[in-house]
Amino acid sequence: MSDPAQAKSGFYTEDMTISVGPQHPSTHGVLRFVVRTDGEVINEAIPDVGYLHRSIEKIGEKVTYHGYVPYTDRADYLAAMFANQAFCMAAEKLAGTEVTRRGEFCRVIACELNRLASHLISVGTFGQDIGAMTPFVHALRERETINNLMEEICGARLTYNYIRIGGVGYDILPETCTKIIEFLDHFEPIVDEFNRLLSGNKIFIERLAGVAVISKEEALSYNLVGPNLRGSGIQWDIRRDIPYSIYPELDFEVPVGTAQVGALGDSYDRFWVRVREMQESVKILRQCLKMMPKGPAISKVPKKFRPPAGECYARVEAPRGDMGFYVVSDGSEYPYRVRIRTGSFTAMSIIDKLSKGIMVADLIALIGSLDVDAPEIDR
Amino acid sequence: MGAVASYIKDIKDTVASTFEGMSITFSHLVRRPMTIQYPDKIPVPIQETLPHRYRGILEVDLDICTGCLACERDCPITCITIGIDMNKETKQRYFTHFDIDVCKCMYCGLCSEACPTGAIRHSQEFEGASYNPAGLVRHFAPQAQNLYKPKKGGETEPKLIAKVDIGQKYLDEFATPDGGGAAEEKKVPE
Amino acid sequence: MIQNGAFAGMPKEVVYAIAMVVTALIVLSAFVAPLAGVTSWLERRVWARMQSRVGPNRVGPQGILQWLADGIKNLLKEDLIPTAADAKLFSLAPYVVFMGFLCSFVVIPFGGSLIVADLNIGILYILAVTSLVVVGILMAGWSSNNKWSLLGGMRSAAQIVSYEIPAGLAILTIVFLAGTMSMQGIIKAQGWAPWDWFLFHNPFTFGAFFLYFTAALAEGNRTPFDIPEAESELVAGYVTEYSGMRFLFFFFAEWGNLYVIGAVATTLFLGGWQVPPWLVSENHPLLLGIAQFVTFFLKAYMWVFVAMWVRATLPRVRVDQLMALCWKYMVPLSFICLLGTIGFMFMSDQGQRIFGALTLGFAIATMINFFRRVGFQIREAKPELYFKPQI
Repeated sequence: MSDPAQAKSGFYTEDMTISVGPQHPSTHGVLRFVVRTDGEVINEAIPDVGYLHRSIEKIGEKVTYHGYVPYTDRADYLAAMFANQAFCMAAEKLAGTEVTRRGEFCRVIACELNRLASHLISVGTFGQDIGAMTPFVHALRERETINNLMEEICGARLTYNYIRIGGVGYDILPETCTKIIEFLDHFEPIVDEFNRLLSGNKIFIERLAGVAVISKEEALSYNLVGPNLRGSGIQWDIRRDIPYSIYPELDFEVPVGTAQVGALGDSYDRFWVRVREMQESVKILRQCLKMMPKGPAISKVPKKFRPPAGECYARVEAPRGDMGFYVVSDGSEYPYRVRIRTGSFTAMSIIDKLSKGIMVADLIALIGSLDVDAPEIDR
Repeated sequence: MGAVASYIKDIKDTVASTFEGMSITFSHLVRRPMTIQYPDKIPVPIQETLPHRYRGILEVDLDICTGCLACERDCPITCITIGIDMNKETKQRYFTHFDIDVCKCMYCGLCSEACPTGAIRHSQEFEGASYNPAGLVRHFAPQAQNLYKPKKGGETEPKLIAKVDIGQKYLDEFATPDGGGAAEEKKVPE
Repeated sequence: MIQNGAFAGMPKEVVYAIAMVVTALIVLSAFVAPLAGVTSWLERRVWARMQSRVGPNRVGPQGILQWLADGIKNLLKEDLIPTAADAKLFSLAPYVVFMGFLCSFVVIPFGGSLIVADLNIGILYILAVTSLVVVGILMAGWSSNNKWSLLGGMRSAAQIVSYEIPAGLAILTIVFLAGTMSMQGIIKAQGWAPWDWFLFHNPFTFGAFFLYFTAALAEGNRTPFDIPEAESELVAGYVTEYSGMRFLFFFFAEWGNLYVIGAVATTLFLGGWQVPPWLVSENHPLLLGIAQFVTFFLKAYMWVFVAMWVRATLPRVRVDQLMALCWKYMVPLSFICLLGTIGFMFMSDQGQRIFGALTLGFAIATMINFFRRVGFQIREAKPELYFKPQI
């Protein structure tokens, strides 16, 4: 399909249709985009999702509430704690269960550690997509220490099944708390080093400044959440605006994009919001570890968990945005319907709009800056 | 003049950030790599360095299994199959089979939490690769074995005391509503 | 005319010429093949240490035979040619690329008298012959019948052809200073001491060196300019459809090309194989030859290490930024360096020596500043230090 201008000049050209993925080193997970380009410049990029669909929502109708918690881990395996927490919050709301205070603190500690791990992967793989392979491995090195901490707390490194209905599955021992503090002391200068290596690099800035700018109105109308939304300058964070757990007692900032280089809402802003969120998570962790009370880590919840009939929606601020679990119960011990709302799925809708007129290399930068994640999209 | 100034600034920024980046990567050359060169260049076997709560491949100590089937019920992915039969003369119940399909197992730990004695638990083993799926089904009751009856007032038989203790220590790791699993909370050092 | 024997009836000169070519080919291949292989191993080890990892250290002592294992494995692989690909061009492309790079070894001076052919157009010959790889890459990109490969091939052609200009201009700067294009002549126009090298001759040649090095990295498809084979964007660019030994040939040429870049940089800017006369005198030709070879090799290999180091540090530029960098920044700067050097040649000897000393002082100050910065990074991160290269 050549455009009229080309036809007038007598030169017949055809657009090239390329398939980015599903086997591709840079689409985060198994994603596919059918991209129509005119040389290097993209005319259309249509996402083709579903390669990682595992019917997690359907499985929710077949297992008990307690048994479903490990499945929620797999809804976004890079941010497994948040899915656990959202589902447990929904189930607790349905049944009216209280969570113990120490349990809430353990939840926040585990979640913020998981946020650190997820953002490390996000900025690391983003650097690798742009071509810098060293910051990626450095980020993974730090994530290994976080994985070791999670392994000490709950026994698993990726799919934790840690946050249970009524609290948490294992208590956090004081030795682990000491190790977490040591890790945080080690980690803060590493973020600064990462910034010096990657975020301040002129080539990196030039690649990202002004690329795929999402304005405030676009971000709101396309229903973006999380760092994608905050990168466009909008102040919205579930932890502060619809507070849950013990976040009201904690003191932390919510970073938003400030057009540091280039335009407001470009890829660099979204990347920078994630780096700043890592630093804020460190602050939150330090406060939690200081304030942690004594007590049981889980409240009394019946083995056969049978919430009364009803429906409930619980949302948490996951690293990729607002993750919501909508649970409908019909009074039996199996949920009637579980619906998972993830931020990456809605981010796919804006990719086609943003990709008109940018180059193939920018498409990769765009996908990386939106931090889409195949398990969240396909569930 | 603005164009020339920004031109020179571009060059200066590129050179400065490259210089900085190269100094960071050069400084890494004298740092210890983080790799653990498993399995041969490590001082102790990896399994001994894993924490006690590590959820490796499931193992069952059938000597202290009471046959309550709580693990089979609680497993969300139905990877445990237990068969119990009764000997008609002695009225003694025994296991016919206790199979765990390790390739289905999610390593979620719900079965070990449900066990009253801690007979089924996650070990520190993680190298379980096999050449065919059938090799991944672990049979923990190779021959018929009687069910275990926990005695009131603690176990007395010497062979079983150690096993019961190991099982109980595993169960103590889990958080319970009466504060179990939580060591006394100490003020974390600043 | 040769009367009897295997080559009866052929003119003497032709036979001698063929014999010389075959010998040169064998000797060069025997040097180049292990060199490219060991460079690949060293690159992986250097990257790994820069990324807090270990790198290959199992095959042979410290993994030094890893390249042999990789080569044997690739030889044993199935020779895949996609059905719809142009089979003749597909098979031919790696060889064209390899040839383009191997031919440049003809004029690399390994020692005072260790050179295959001291052409009087030495450096121009290298510029010409390294452009052959463009043909090979375009062939690879086109014949793979894969849109990703085509994109990669096109990008690479544009890149290599564009970056010839700043590289050529930087080289021209030195040719003006030396007065000859022959490699041995350029080396002989310098001295063994750093203050006699063309690198510190005047500030413009100092700039010309960095321009040459950057342009040469771009020609060799190395990060930050490795767009044609950008792994994260184009799967693998023009080598996507290649597997087995054909795949290795491309990378063989790339790693070997690193050495050529280093060798040319050493020849032009760092005084080549010159050793101090008080170290080894001319009375011991064998010792002198070895000393010259070792000096040249170490100087050239240092730049190979720097290329690996740069690859580990910098992200990739986009295609249009690559072109902008070349035409808007590097070409004008190269012209400035060229004109500046020419202007310098009119200066008095005294003035030249002063500026040379100033340049050398600036370079030493930058080096010291660099190591102080490295110390700062280590103090900030407070890591566990480990100085041994073997692990």
